[in-house]
Amino acid sequence: MRAARRVLALVRKDLVLEWRGRDVLVPAGAFGLAVLLVLGLVSGGGPQDAPTLLWVSVLLASVLAAGRSAEREGEEGTLEVLLLYPGSREDLFWGRHLALCVLLGALALGLWAAQLFLFNAPARGWPAVLLAGTLATVGLSASGTLLAALLGHVRAGRLLLPLLFLPTSVPVLLAGVRLTEAAAAGTTLGPWWGVLVVFDLLFLLVGPVLFEVAVEG
Amino acid sequence: MPVARHAERVRASPVWGTRAASGPPSPVVTEGLGRRFGPVVALHDVTLRVQQGQCLLLVGPNGSGKTTLLRVLATALRPTEGRAWVWGYEVTAEGWRVREVCAYLGTAPGVYGALSGFENLRLAADLCGKPVGRVPELLARVGLMPAAHRLVASYSLGMRRRLALARAFLQEPLVALLDEPFVGLDEEGRELVRQLVEEVKSRAGAVVLATHDGDRARGLYDRVVCLEAGSLRAAGG
Repeated sequence: MRAARRVLALVRKDLVLEWRGRDVLVPAGAFGLAVLLVLGLVSGGGPQDAPTLLWVSVLLASVLAAGRSAEREGEEGTLEVLLLYPGSREDLFWGRHLALCVLLGALALGLWAAQLFLFNAPARGWPAVLLAGTLATVGLSASGTLLAALLGHVRAGRLLLPLLFLPTSVPVLLAGVRLTEAAAAGTTLGPWWGVLVVFDLLFLLVGPVLFEVAVEG
Repeated sequence: MPVARHAERVRASPVWGTRAASGPPSPVVTEGLGRRFGPVVALHDVTLRVQQGQCLLLVGPNGSGKTTLLRVLATALRPTEGRAWVWGYEVTAEGWRVREVCAYLGTAPGVYGALSGFENLRLAADLCGKPVGRVPELLARVGLMPAAHRLVASYSLGMRRRLALARAFLQEPLVALLDEPFVGLDEEGRELVRQLVEEVKSRAGAVVLATHDGDRARGLYDRVVCLEAGSLRAAGG
């Protein structure tokens, strides 16, 4: 009960900070949109490229969002205060992860809508794309929260985050692209759903434990 | 009541037990404590005890290791040598227990500029498991009620430090670790620091107060120790 109260308080805090500052969604959304446009121009923006464009832009925007979300905490010296409150530090992971989930979900939805509008991509099989997006958001948020914490004590950690985050997220990228293509074609690809679920489970299980170690001074 | 909740620990802890046999129990104990940052030795072989109901004044020049010692005791940093116990809990192995009994007031207020004073303190109440109903009372106590719903970004440094003090009052700690607590505060604010120290002492807890300006803490402390280049140099009553 106490853990739930702590987690909810942390989620509310992060979302209120974002609502007032807009310092995660606006830069990450603008960056994702720029990636979408540039890749669309390079590739010709045909409907067959739409899934790849969407998922690459979501992934790159997620790197920025995860880094910025973690960075915000260090700027006012509030991270140390959070770490010194009573209770398990795993709650901090869950709070930060859930808030980032909401932000990444909004980001992915926005980029999806932009992709549909800009490239006249078909919205066929949207429930499957939505489910894949939800699973991907959970995994990217958990891995982003953990990796940003691991690099928190490292000099130039902000620059290193993409180096770790992008290779780690390759399974999400591949699964997202394949599932979106399959949804548009009206087929199903069972194994790729498994990839997303395993990725999520892995980071949701090891994330809280490693997070605690990562934030130790 | 924190004292009652942790009373079992007083009986069970070997650290408390040995102290009880040879004198009053010690809520803060360090034995050969040290901390390095790469090649830099910030703290070396610090052994000290703070008894129940005592305030220990840590003095020393800038860079003498006062903040490092407090941060190790607060579990913000891991010691690289030696051991330390706060309220009988070992700071490395039982950090989460230490954080239940201890409040650390650092040099940075550690408050969110984009939240109001009320929201900052409500967050603290949620994270400490304290009733949110106490928030208005504490804001009034530290003189921030008129600014309670203003964003903290518009607060002065003194007001931010008062908010951090309100957070410490909210925690009702048994051990308070105060790092330069008088900086940025006016006379009324400094009186709040004194009240915090007296409150903790009256709970049979202990306070470790670090400052390079001992005059401000006159009348508050029971013992003084001096740190120099990371080591204890002198102690006095």
